[in-house]
Amino acid sequence: MPEEGAAPAILVRGLRKYYGTKPAVDGVDLEVPRGSFFGFLGPNGAGKSTTIRILTGLIPYDSGSVELLGYRLPEQDLEIKRRIGLVPDESLLFDRLTGVEFLEFVGRMYGLARPVAIERAHGLMDLFQLLADRKMIAEYSKGMRKRVAMAASLIHHPELFLMDEPFEGVDAVGARLMKDILMDQVRRGATIFLTSHVLEVVERLCDRVAIINDGKIAVCRSMAELREAGESLEDAFVRIVGAEHQMERLDWL
Amino acid sequence: MIAAILRAQLLSMRPGSNRGLGLGVLAAVFWYGFWLFVSLTGAFFASHATVDMLRYGFPLGLMALCIYWQAIPVLSASMGSSLDMRKLMVYPTPHEKLFLIELLLRFATGIEMQMVLAGAVIGLLRNPVSGGAAALPSLAGAALLFALFNLLLASGTRSLLERLLGRRKVREIVALLLAMTWVAPRFVMMSGVKPTWLQSAGVIMGSFGWPWSAAARAALPLGQSTGTTALCWLSLCAWVMIAGWFGRAQFERNLRYDTLAAQATPMSPVSARTSLWTERFYRVPALLWRDPLAAIVEKELRTLTRSPRFRLVFIMGFTFGLMFWLPMMLRHNRQHPGFLTHNFLVIVCIYAMTLIGQVTYWNCFGLDRSAAIFYFVAPQPISRTLLGKNIACLFFLYLEAVVLMALTLAVRVNFSLGQVVETFVVIGICATYVTALGNISSVNYPRALSPERVSQSGGGNRAQALVALFYPVVLLPVILAYVARYAFDSDVAFALVLSVAAAIAVIFYWIAMESAVKAASARRQSILEELSRGDGPVGS
Repeated sequence: MPEEGAAPAILVRGLRKYYGTKPAVDGVDLEVPRGSFFGFLGPNGAGKSTTIRILTGLIPYDSGSVELLGYRLPEQDLEIKRRIGLVPDESLLFDRLTGVEFLEFVGRMYGLARPVAIERAHGLMDLFQLLADRKMIAEYSKGMRKRVAMAASLIHHPELFLMDEPFEGVDAVGARLMKDILMDQVRRGATIFLTSHVLEVVERLCDRVAIINDGKIAVCRSMAELREAGESLEDAFVRIVGAEHQMERLDWL
Repeated sequence: MIAAILRAQLLSMRPGSNRGLGLGVLAAVFWYGFWLFVSLTGAFFASHATVDMLRYGFPLGLMALCIYWQAIPVLSASMGSSLDMRKLMVYPTPHEKLFLIELLLRFATGIEMQMVLAGAVIGLLRNPVSGGAAALPSLAGAALLFALFNLLLASGTRSLLERLLGRRKVREIVALLLAMTWVAPRFVMMSGVKPTWLQSAGVIMGSFGWPWSAAARAALPLGQSTGTTALCWLSLCAWVMIAGWFGRAQFERNLRYDTLAAQATPMSPVSARTSLWTERFYRVPALLWRDPLAAIVEKELRTLTRSPRFRLVFIMGFTFGLMFWLPMMLRHNRQHPGFLTHNFLVIVCIYAMTLIGQVTYWNCFGLDRSAAIFYFVAPQPISRTLLGKNIACLFFLYLEAVVLMALTLAVRVNFSLGQVVETFVVIGICATYVTALGNISSVNYPRALSPERVSQSGGGNRAQALVALFYPVVLLPVILAYVARYAFDSDVAFALVLSVAAAIAVIFYWIAMESAVKAASARRQSILEELSRGDGPVGS
């Protein structure tokens, strides 16, 4: 059992994951300090989701080492799972449950006693401005589904959040609400590791960022260091991933 | 346009790997091999039949073929592939082209009947009484028109059912009515009651007013006047046109049908009393097990009871099952009480178990679809999830048995307390075997299932192959217990063999669980990919 607070929230060394002969993640080194709001950026297909899926234990890696909150993956995966909250890019919601029922179920799966899970489920429904009615999740809009997913990631009070595009499809009000809740979690000592294509959001929320390109970490620094260099996050991102080519035009278009 | 849709579908069906391809091929060989045998048998009888046999037998044969063609997809709760309109309606595709693809899909669904029809035609061509090769134009023409009639009717029936079964509250009533419609005549016949109108009904059914008799008499005039033959052709063409209108009209209505609106939760509040009772039902697992197992079982009870797909097969289990087997049992009971009488409850429960298998144990994660990711990120071993799902399945099986017993008592068929206990024990043992095999199938051949689409088949081809090949094998120890009872005429022998079967079931379940957990760990990525995979333009 690691000493409380001693190890970084995420420590990845020489991580490699191949699909066939193509490396999706190619020797990634990453250290995310506890209590940080960490943005993990990269163009489409750069290896962001693969990295997050490895961190959640959903897919095995080929070489390297992964530690979350001081626990080694995959050896101590249950210990890790108990302590993390996950908002994946895919929906992990059970369509035929209502929002409250789903949250209660998740709470109980994370070891909460039923009355506690029920109480927290109702509290989270209120917090995320969701009606605790008979409507099943199947009938929820995309934004509501994201809110429920984020509420579910909070119910067991995790130390580390892994979030893949948490604001995708959420309206401005919902996004504001979710951002406030996440900031509050960081203030309380939780660590947030998120991916997003909305660079303005990352720039405003995160205190550290890493940019992955072609499976390799191209840059990993604090937002303060980035600002000192006089570049916006968007400029740095475009420069690093090498997308500054001239747009070609199609004659017929 | 049609080619583009078919190509997109073919590309969507590309297997991720060659895993289980052999099983799929083996199952196809087994299934179509069986129908080839039926077809050849039909050809043999058709080639040796006398004029009288053909006059009475041919229309009846065609009627049976028509009934199978239309009824079996409904009875098996697997109505074959259909166009996914949500994906196709955004394109400027003319409706008639979509309808043509729909007919091609119905063609693929009823291919075994076309084999039988072809066998009958070939047999008749070899029979001198039917006129030999000279009868080819009329035989082939009538067979083609009859096949077209069936295709169009099947298309219309499917569209109509798809809509009716998609409506809240209505679908369960429709399922019950279907059960009555398909099985009521059989019930009357098997119960031994001979209504006086039955004979005249038989004569009416044989007249050229019906599509099967019109097709038979148009194909083989067998001494009837030219005028009558012409009337038969007219009748057959009229039936094809009616079926065409029905098929097309129902297809058009399906195009305009709003599934989401039909399935939306009504705004009206549920009475507190109803809500209290359903909550009590859902909370039963918490009385028996501790979390997280209780939470998993409870979640399964909630999601399955709210899934139209599950509710349909559950209702079919005790309605179709009862109405299919009860007449047979009543007849046996009167003549010589025997195996069927004594084991009626077990047989119907096994039928129910087979039906609900496609949405429960054979494909445990199917209805969860991409949400199954939760089980892999939750801090619980996957074995607990599988166990919870298996317990929920057993729960429903026992519920099915209780409903069956209540219905059986309601129709004044009595059974002893011993039979009740035996049913519960046998179902428990059988369920242990099939859920054990189902756990392996669920992690090796997962497939996303829509909870709303009541006409969707349960598992992928590979899972269905596994079911067809191993289902009888895994139940063999239980079957042997019944063999022992009747061979030795002893309940003690039955109990002994059943005890051995139970012990083997527990060991088998344990080994299968170990294997499933290993496979789930090794294949979790592909499992989630399979469960997140969407269908092509054609949903199967």
